[in-house]
Amino acid sequence: MKKIVCLGIIGTLFYGYTQLTDSKKRYIKELVRQMPYLVPRYFV
Amino acid sequence: MADYNIIVIGAGCGGLSAGAQLAKKGRKVLVLEQTERVGGCCSTYEQNGFKFDIGASIVEAPELLNRVFTRLGTTLENEVDLIECDPIYTVILGDGRRMTIPKSLQGTEEAIKAITPADVQGWRKYAALMDGFRNTLNDFFTSPVLTFSDMAGIMKNSPDMLKYGSLFTSSYQDVLNKYFTNAAIKESLAYQTFFIGLPPELAPGIFAVIPFQEHDGLYYTRGGMIGIPEALRRLGEKEGMELRLKTKVKKVIVRNKRAVGVKLDDGTEISAEVVISDINAKTLYLDMIGAEQLPWLARIGIKSYETAMAVPMLYLGVNYTPPLNSHHTLVTVPMEDMNDFWWSDYRTGGFSKHQFAIISWTSQSDPKLAPKGKHVLILTLPPSLRTCGKKSWDEAKPEMLEKYIDYYSKRAIPGLKEHIEVAELATPLDFERRLGTPDGAIYALRQDMMNETVFRPAAKSKSIDGLYLVGASTHPGGGVPTTMASGIVATDLIEKFERG
Repeated sequence: MKKIVCLGIIGTLFYGYTQLTDSKKRYIKELVRQMPYLVPRYFV
Repeated sequence: MADYNIIVIGAGCGGLSAGAQLAKKGRKVLVLEQTERVGGCCSTYEQNGFKFDIGASIVEAPELLNRVFTRLGTTLENEVDLIECDPIYTVILGDGRRMTIPKSLQGTEEAIKAITPADVQGWRKYAALMDGFRNTLNDFFTSPVLTFSDMAGIMKNSPDMLKYGSLFTSSYQDVLNKYFTNAAIKESLAYQTFFIGLPPELAPGIFAVIPFQEHDGLYYTRGGMIGIPEALRRLGEKEGMELRLKTKVKKVIVRNKRAVGVKLDDGTEISAEVVISDINAKTLYLDMIGAEQLPWLARIGIKSYETAMAVPMLYLGVNYTPPLNSHHTLVTVPMEDMNDFWWSDYRTGGFSKHQFAIISWTSQSDPKLAPKGKHVLILTLPPSLRTCGKKSWDEAKPEMLEKYIDYYSKRAIPGLKEHIEVAELATPLDFERRLGTPDGAIYALRQDMMNETVFRPAAKSKSIDGLYLVGASTHPGGGVPTTMASGIVATDLIEKFERG
């Protein structure tokens, strides 16, 4: 059951992402690209 | 006993704001500036009788500036001769049409109506939203934001800010698309994203407040923008603050994880209880302190910051009255082209097909900046990397100077080419060498949501005790009012934590 819920959430997110404009996708990609640095930046 | 209570590295607006406030509080303050004048990017120089502003060409948010002057026992009005710019802009759109934007909201509504009545309602809604949002900003700008707890405290004190949550999660472009339908209107409001060094699709929605906030008034300083840092210098010196120009700091001396002074280029060491940095945070931590002094997470963090966009500037002294009608003229391109510029031409360099600029006709506001009958024009050109395509900027400079003059003569300022007496192009490389700003980026570090508030280098260093940051590298970021606000933040933190 958990697997189905997880797959459902991933599927919904993926579908939502494909519906975004190219511009919005680039905005999100930029945020995601920088996400790994958020924790280190908090300590500067 | 230390030589000084406080040493400030850099006499930009942030450094002078903090230095003067702390001197007023009785601290023994020394400000060290590597160049021959104060102000950093908010400064003015003279060539052949023409006075040119190096970077900043107007100032807004006077109420925020006044907070610093009030703390110094005076007012902005008493210390700086500000000239109001109205109209605030003339916009030359990509299709050649011109729009003049007056200070009054009603007048702006008329200007929008002349392009498309359909967007008048959107303008009213946008203005109502931003009117409320901007009222929450000044306290946010002058509050320390070191931790999530500080953020929560700000939200608690300004619950209204929560109403504007969508501005934090959307892009600047999203905000314009929400309220406006006409491409020309959006274009006229989109240029301001480059004030923070990002294209409309990547700039955070909160910055869409700028085109509204400008209606509170745009001001120019009589005599040149250096008038603001000079006023801070004068007030600081009156309180005993000491300023040394042409004095370059090589290292911040750190002992047992505490900043205890600085070492100058000539080897002299000066001790202090507290060091304030008004230079780029990457230069501070990586060159002046050394990555080895930082905990590993902070080391990764500081290296991860990207510099903001740098902009070449063109300084022109002309012997005619340019056919313009505002202190500021924005030469724009459609919003999509601004985005395209970021992903293509900005990276490849060279002369972009998407040309957009701010033309500052400073001698319209203050004729004394130029010899009689002559004028000063300063062009803030499309942003650039540290190199110009495959060439270095030093190599490309003469050719680019000619191209820019040709282009803007044709598109925006007829007759310009034939009336130039002085022409100097300051490139990102020049800014890097003259002001010590890495990559020539006058806004220091990128200003998106991943580089703001608690994710921007902290005003009170989290790695080195006794070390504080002001200026564009720290909260609240680049710009004259905001860097001056950073001086308030640092002063309050030092008063709280460094009572000696």
